[in-house]
Amino acid sequence: MKNISKKLMAMGVACTMLSGGIVSSAMAEELRMTIWSANEGHLALFNGIADGFVASHPDVTVKFDSLPFSNYTTTVTTQIAGGNAPDLAWILETTAADFVNSGALYPLNDALNAAEGYELSDVSKPPLGLWSKDDAILAMPFSTSPFAMFVNNDLIKAAGAQSPAELIAAGEWNWENAIKTASAVGATGKGGLIVRDFKYQNWKNLASIWSGWDAAPWSADGKDCAFAEPEMVSAMNFIHDAIFEKNAIPGPGESVDFFAGDAALTITQISRASLLPKENGFDWDLVPLPAGPAGEYSLIGQAAIGVFAAGKNAELAAEFLAYMTNPENSAKLAQFFPSIRGSLLNAKTLGETNALLSEDQLKKVVIEGIANGSVIPGHTGFAQIEQIVRAGLDAVWVPDANVEDALANVCSRIQPLLTR
Amino acid sequence: MKIDMSIRTRTMLYGLMCVLLIPFVFPTWWMVTSSVKPISDIFAFPPDFLPRTYEWSTYQRVFELQPFAQQYWNSGYIAAIVTAGTMIVSSLAGYAFARIRFPGADAIFMVVLLGLLIPAEVTIVPLFQMFNQWGMINTHWPLILVPVFGAPSVFSTFIMRQFFIALPIELEEAARVDGLGRFTIFRKIALPLAKPALSAVAIFTFLHSWNLFLEPIVFISTPEMFTLPQALTQFTDAYGGAMWNIQLAAATLTALPVLIVFIVAQKQFVEGLAHTGLKG
Amino acid sequence: MSQASHIVAKSPRAFWTIKRRDQVAGTLFIAPQLIGIIVFVLIPLGLVFWYSLHEWNVLANSFKFVGSANYKMLLADPALPEVLTATGIFSAGLVIFNMSLALLIAVLLNQKLWGIVVFRTLFFSPVVVSLVAWTIVWSFLLQNNGGINAVLQTMGIEGPNWLRNPGTAMFSIIVVQVFKNVGLNMILFLAALQGVPKELYEAARVDGASAFKQFRRITLPLISPTILLTSIITIVGSLQVFAQIAVLTQGGPGMSTTVLVYYLYQQAFQFHFFGYGATLSIMLFIIVAVLTFAQWQLRKRIVFYEN
Repeated sequence: MKNISKKLMAMGVACTMLSGGIVSSAMAEELRMTIWSANEGHLALFNGIADGFVASHPDVTVKFDSLPFSNYTTTVTTQIAGGNAPDLAWILETTAADFVNSGALYPLNDALNAAEGYELSDVSKPPLGLWSKDDAILAMPFSTSPFAMFVNNDLIKAAGAQSPAELIAAGEWNWENAIKTASAVGATGKGGLIVRDFKYQNWKNLASIWSGWDAAPWSADGKDCAFAEPEMVSAMNFIHDAIFEKNAIPGPGESVDFFAGDAALTITQISRASLLPKENGFDWDLVPLPAGPAGEYSLIGQAAIGVFAAGKNAELAAEFLAYMTNPENSAKLAQFFPSIRGSLLNAKTLGETNALLSEDQLKKVVIEGIANGSVIPGHTGFAQIEQIVRAGLDAVWVPDANVEDALANVCSRIQPLLTR
Repeated sequence: MKIDMSIRTRTMLYGLMCVLLIPFVFPTWWMVTSSVKPISDIFAFPPDFLPRTYEWSTYQRVFELQPFAQQYWNSGYIAAIVTAGTMIVSSLAGYAFARIRFPGADAIFMVVLLGLLIPAEVTIVPLFQMFNQWGMINTHWPLILVPVFGAPSVFSTFIMRQFFIALPIELEEAARVDGLGRFTIFRKIALPLAKPALSAVAIFTFLHSWNLFLEPIVFISTPEMFTLPQALTQFTDAYGGAMWNIQLAAATLTALPVLIVFIVAQKQFVEGLAHTGLKG
Repeated sequence: MSQASHIVAKSPRAFWTIKRRDQVAGTLFIAPQLIGIIVFVLIPLGLVFWYSLHEWNVLANSFKFVGSANYKMLLADPALPEVLTATGIFSAGLVIFNMSLALLIAVLLNQKLWGIVVFRTLFFSPVVVSLVAWTIVWSFLLQNNGGINAVLQTMGIEGPNWLRNPGTAMFSIIVVQVFKNVGLNMILFLAALQGVPKELYEAARVDGASAFKQFRRITLPLISPTILLTSIITIVGSLQVFAQIAVLTQGGPGMSTTVLVYYLYQQAFQFHFFGYGATLSIMLFIIVAVLTFAQWQLRKRIVFYEN
């Protein structure tokens, strides 16, 4: 036994050395950026951009750490708490307020102004709002992706319902009619409308519906709960009705996948076009979100890059961030991540990188969406608020729910957190 | 134990086991078959029992997208060292707790038992701070040192202690009368008899190390240094969505060697355990 | 060590009495484990306690001593009763279900049947299947329109909406967790069963004891140490489960499946309240320690022979 152990130990130690397990990085200036993508295309692009930066900064290395999305914030937080904050990080819109308000991020204004040919004026301002505090820009959005509706025309035709394209042509593309179509497909045993990734948990994705009622979870300044306001109550009643009366939205605990061809409509970000089946597909379409009682609207999801003030090389990191998001590199990034630079927001540029979508679809959904879109709701301490609202909304997702009471209850639970 | 069983009893037993097996086998079956399905078929509802089309290329993609062979090696050698190290540490400690009476032994045993009780999430932040100070972030040291010496090895120490308690003491007593030292007795007499318990410790430790998830994610950040469970999360498409078929192919490859080892070693393992002090 | 070993133990005048030698040997044997526990468990635990006396916002980089404020907050936390209830139900359910199923399967696998090796392997296989794959499959099966309800329907039963119903959500999570890991306990039980001397059964049969009586009077007492060991491991393990909860229910519906470790994880890593998370950690630790200590004491009553 002892001998075996000895051999194993010796082998192990040898292995450690072989695999470089003991070597710790001793580079003078290494920039480390945490991202939640491990996609080879993304990494190749980022490394390409980093090479360009290193060419002018020979003693700098840039390293991209791919963390799993589900553990992303946990891992970044642990690293910060453990005294090893990354220099740069991707930040998701829902945590934007936490990062922006905490003082964890390094202001970028100086670096952006100093960067040659940056053209800050080209960056459209509304999408920057979430990432700024007072006049300081604390993170730069690199991906701004509108929500839109994918359509399965085959299922709609089989149900004998009106397709969104027909409704748009007739000027009647509104929620009333969209749910009618979904309901007709639901009656055939297929799924009607799927709000992708909502799953009766990630309620913030419902903003893609309730924004049509001009409803919001809280007031613009984030201080007052608005779940019990008439707009929200009416929007939620509409959703509840669509689920439990009209069978237009699959109920809680039912899994139906649009991209497998099992549902008529789905609301998601346009980047999900990559999930459309390549063989044995269906006749699909992409349309803007229907108009609500409050008129037309659009919703965008965002991710930004920020520099941690606690990082060792914050100034250098900000310089790299400016380089990464300059016009030239933004154009490169735009092949995966819709930019907020006005010069890149035209159907031609977008069409080059979104082969699946027509120029018309891109213009209607992307360009207009980004120009007018509101961002998915967020708040300081969002994760906690999100959980409490999730628990409170569970009372809405039952057939005989008292929607108004449930929403009032949500407000009474989160109001203290909003004013905290 | 019952030597003669009627055909009826046998059939009933087989039937019962087959029914019981369904929840155990179906997910595994799904993992394996879905690994060769096109991604759009994976979430088809109801799930297909057999793939409609077979895409074997997923297995090739596993190795193209990640340094998967290197990651396999990382997981393998870390698990091997952890297993060997734990066997040494826990057999020494287990022996002492079982055999050597000295003041404070019981108190120390209770302290060591604390290790059994700590969820990894509880101490991950202070551990990260420590390893960061020692310059061991993004190395495999935390994945080796903590399991071998820290909380995860306590279970093994416990198994070893129970084993040695149950082991007849006469041989060792005789050796003591002959004037042999504790370490010699341990190495020459007790340890050779402890093979069964060691094999139990080996399997449990290996599995624990092989499946470790939270720690690698927190401590390791370079793909070449990743371990398998961590690597599984890295197969994503251009929009951050999981490439499920490739991820499941990788998951299948991850499970396979352990299952094979289990099939080969299970008889010895179970019988080994049967003779250990787990019965007292 | 080697010095100690060639001094004759019987000499009464020698400095190295048996007692001293044992003290040294014992300490040396235990040293690697003890140092490991001190460095990797006790010191981190001490730090966690230190954090629990602070308000620590990681993002804002603020670390402020607040004394017992977090503990006062803990006692006043309106969610705590719900969380503790959920934890209790979860742990009790998990332990009972896990142990009985493990024992049942172990008894079945202990029969001399052809092909038993295949069955053993299959029952054990979930232990090595990726947790992600495992959870995905079960979330499918437990859907309202999922596999389990489809099967129930063919039997004329309308199944509940497993993961969305407060009564069944907890049950579902327990079941998913048990099937994944019951293989480990099963192996321990199987080993224990095989260690029971066959003569005892033969003697019992000569005395005309029924199979059930044999099981109760012979098997159970003889494997009681294993039952103790597995129950400790399982209870401790049950207080550490949260990945499946995160995927399957996110602690819902309502708070019905928010168990302590999930709540702790949320507070520390999702809500960034590290100080409060540390406080919850300390509470979790005390609960586990008390439970384990109680079980350990209980062994004297339920375990039939030890030492």
